[in-house]
Amino acid sequence: MKLGIRIRTGLAVAVATGLAVAGAGVGAQAASNVTLTVWSYGNVFEPKIVDMYRKAHPDVTIKITKMNLDDEHNKLLYALPSRAVPDVAAVEMAYMGQFRQPMIAAQFTNLNTLGANKIASDYLPFRWAQGTGLNGAQIGLPTDVGGLAVAYRTDLFKKAGFPTKREEVTALWPTWEKFITVGKQFQNKVPGVGFMDSTGTLFAAVLNQGTEKYYDAKSRAAIYRTNPTVKRAFDIAAKAGCTFMRNNKCAGSIGTKINQFSPDWGAAMNKGAFAAVLAPAWMLDYIKQQAPGTKGKWDIAAVPGGGGNMGGSMLTIPKKAKNAKAAWDFISWYLAPAQQLKTFQLYGLFPTTYKMYSQPSIKNYKDPFFNNAPVGAIYSSSAMKLKPIYAGAKDRLIDSTFGQALARITQGTQTKSCGSFPAQTSGAAWCQALQDIQHNVGQ
Amino acid sequence: MTAISQTLKSRKRRRMSAIARQDRVGLFYVAPFFVHFVLFGAIPIVFTTALAFFNADFQTYYEFITNHQLSVLTNAFAGLDNFRELFKDSYFWLALRNTFSIWLISTVPQLIIAFGLASLLANARLRASTFWRTALMIPNITSVLAVAIVFQQLFGRDFGIFNVLLHYVGHKPIEWVAGTIPSHFAIATMINWRWLGYNSLIFLAAILAIPKELYESAALDGASRWQTVRYVTIPQMKNTITFMLVMGTIGGLGLFVEPLTYGGGFDGGANSQFLTMTLYLYKQAFMNQRLGYGAAIGVGITLVVMIISAINFMITRSIAGEESK
Amino acid sequence: MTATLEQMETTTQQSASPKPRRRSISKRVSPFTYVALTLMTFISVFPFYWMYVVASNGSEEISKIPPSLTPGGNFPNVVNTITQAVPFWHAILNTAIVSTVIALCNVFFSTLAGFALAKLRVPGKRGMLLFIIGTMMLPAQLGVIFMYMVMSWLNWINDFKALVVPAIVGAFGVFWMRQIIDSQLPNELLEAARIDGASVFRIYRSIVVPTVLPAAFVLGLFSFLGTWNDYLWPSLVLNDPERFTVQVAITQLNNSYTVDYAANMGAALLGTTPLLLLFIFVGRRLVAGVMEGAVKG
Repeated sequence: MKLGIRIRTGLAVAVATGLAVAGAGVGAQAASNVTLTVWSYGNVFEPKIVDMYRKAHPDVTIKITKMNLDDEHNKLLYALPSRAVPDVAAVEMAYMGQFRQPMIAAQFTNLNTLGANKIASDYLPFRWAQGTGLNGAQIGLPTDVGGLAVAYRTDLFKKAGFPTKREEVTALWPTWEKFITVGKQFQNKVPGVGFMDSTGTLFAAVLNQGTEKYYDAKSRAAIYRTNPTVKRAFDIAAKAGCTFMRNNKCAGSIGTKINQFSPDWGAAMNKGAFAAVLAPAWMLDYIKQQAPGTKGKWDIAAVPGGGGNMGGSMLTIPKKAKNAKAAWDFISWYLAPAQQLKTFQLYGLFPTTYKMYSQPSIKNYKDPFFNNAPVGAIYSSSAMKLKPIYAGAKDRLIDSTFGQALARITQGTQTKSCGSFPAQTSGAAWCQALQDIQHNVGQ
Repeated sequence: MTAISQTLKSRKRRRMSAIARQDRVGLFYVAPFFVHFVLFGAIPIVFTTALAFFNADFQTYYEFITNHQLSVLTNAFAGLDNFRELFKDSYFWLALRNTFSIWLISTVPQLIIAFGLASLLANARLRASTFWRTALMIPNITSVLAVAIVFQQLFGRDFGIFNVLLHYVGHKPIEWVAGTIPSHFAIATMINWRWLGYNSLIFLAAILAIPKELYESAALDGASRWQTVRYVTIPQMKNTITFMLVMGTIGGLGLFVEPLTYGGGFDGGANSQFLTMTLYLYKQAFMNQRLGYGAAIGVGITLVVMIISAINFMITRSIAGEESK
Repeated sequence: MTATLEQMETTTQQSASPKPRRRSISKRVSPFTYVALTLMTFISVFPFYWMYVVASNGSEEISKIPPSLTPGGNFPNVVNTITQAVPFWHAILNTAIVSTVIALCNVFFSTLAGFALAKLRVPGKRGMLLFIIGTMMLPAQLGVIFMYMVMSWLNWINDFKALVVPAIVGAFGVFWMRQIIDSQLPNELLEAARIDGASVFRIYRSIVVPTVLPAAFVLGLFSFLGTWNDYLWPSLVLNDPERFTVQVAITQLNNSYTVDYAANMGAALLGTTPLLLLFIFVGRRLVAGVMEGAVKG
């Protein structure tokens, strides 16, 4: 009997404590301090730069939550109408198409009201435009610009009897088709080593060299079926992913089967399992992190077609954010020219504040890891040449559906025939991808 | 009837109604649970079922949240459209097949091995029996996430231990993720690893509960070992086996976290080779932002569960019928 | 696995040659039994060992062929990486508190409801039971969309209330306690108490609760374990690293662009270790509870 009472009391105490702890977590903040909640993914926010801000503003606490890319955006979407929004949210280019739609853009603070229009001229115009909502408001500040080059292993190229100087290497592949041919030649000369890491990356590279991908810039209609750029990008990636068939299955490719950013990828890089990687500026830092032992064995050449835009993010402030002003102070500082320069020097992310490109620190910047390649000059000329690509509402989904189709080709799992195309062909994968997009996206 | 029995009867009736009145306070005992259950168990399911009749994607949700206009809802009403689409959706049927395949590969060997283990453990002369039983429960206490992380590595194509061992015996590496049956096998292994001990203990308890007399009379009748198992042990464990099948089925149909973590996404593999039904629900509802269609998939899953339960029920009934022969 | 099965069949064949198996009468235990059981124990425990091996060697070690089978000395570094990525110890504390609160509430409400459904003449009892059984069979994920929206409206996102309130009682617990009470509490005892004029509450407090305490403890354990290991709902609902539970913290490491295998496994291991420690103390009770529930169920 007493035991029952004891249990009941203990229970009451526990519940009270538990909810108290929960409650305490919610509201515990000193009055003068500001806590900024930031939602992010990948390496949008680089630690040392953030720390610089922290030191300069001891009254501001910055809490960054890193999430999986898709999770972050989906959670953000659901959170926007409620008050459970962060103060700062990073939005990736693939999702920007959706976030720019008027109804969703309305859920963000118009940064022009906080002073964005004054700094607009500092940034690459097309990157700035990517952060303008279709309702006219400026909802995001651009972070970095991808640009595109090819990072290649000079020692492996030498083994294949290829030239190793970057101008000569660039001359090897004036077109993407030539790129694939070079890849095949390489693998014939150096068996067991892949030419590139993942042929799927070719799809985005070729695709982003155009001005429109899945949606028409004027009518906003979905054009992924008919846009020749999309089909060409797909065909090139498919050809690279499956260079020849044997026994009705894919028997060769110019890439390894490893996914980028997987643990195997880093290991493979260390071992020299592939010789080339399509490298936007931010990729260089990944290479350095994953394979520090390969320092000095890399160099940088240009891509066929000269430049493409791979990735990039915008920093936004949701409308219902609690500390909009403090958030603006932070992100406008973080993306100011001086900090973008520092980010480049420390982490290799290429600035969107293009006026810095003529500065010696960028213009003359050579990276010893990559055989003293003039990385600054290479990426700044690539960035200036970039044309904006219209981002549509369901870009991310369409991207990932095409990605799945390409993976099926490489893995030999395109088991369904489709339309007039038999199984295991790139035609069937394309046909199925179109059906899947229709099914997933409804457009 | 005599006067005494009449009095006794009416007294009993009065007492029973007194008890019934007193017991009504039991409603207050059940209430917290029942209210909670309706709020957090039943209503979400009702809502999801209702949502399936609407062409609700994220835009609709947004419009409704920001405008609060009923017209948004009425415009989005789609009747049976989602269900018609679901019926023709090859991915749904693929997910159904995948779910069943994984369920089959995990449940059947699991029950057999669990039974075997239980038989070993049931021996009264077994030394350190508590140790064995406790050790078998260890996999059950880990989180599904941790298990998936470990097994993802063990089944890795290039550096996973299983392929390394295969390499040593001269076999080609198996595509544990890209292949269909191999990926099912890998996921089933995760499930088996986790539940084998638990199920063995349940079987063990059931075996130990069988009265000795049945075995003695079987021995007197000269039954062989196999006959004893078939005619004594298994029928006596009918309830337990049914219970395990039911639990296994429910768990199997709702398989979600393992394929999610194993594949690292809502796709269930590039070829949707290990896409399960619940994973597909999530893919449509969250990734593709088609809330209404995702809800329709939910209804589809519910129907499948009901059909399976009905089949389970009928099988149980027929086994029970057999026993009375 | 097939090898084990064959071993077991040979075991049973061997030990039962002329006479049929009789579990009540002890017979010689063949060495194959011990081999099989040792194998099963090894399989049960190996993944934990492997987690430690991977975590304590560097990530580069993992891609070595042959992979090293022994632990290295890198574990402290890995712990460092983990705690820098995520406030891991805080996550363990959060999880411990949430799991305990939920376990206690669950036991409390389940016992109350289980008692009423087992022994009291509650109006509408049968209907309630059927309704509950029916809904129990559906996968939990069906209601998640709606639940998430509700949490959003209530502004409970990122709040522990979103974790606790939906979990304070569950159908499984109620059924468990109902079965236990049904079988462990003789009706005569109840009758006698009623005749003595005891109120329902008195019966509950003085008779029911003390009798079912061991089973209630096991239910609490299961509830605790279930909450500790729950991954999907907390990862949907919690956004602030300070609030993370252990499983969400582990996914943080799983989610970076470049997966650090050593840190990943290390986090998984650290997240499981408190449970393993708990298991050392209460493992036997858990085993007993499972077996008891099996027969009663």
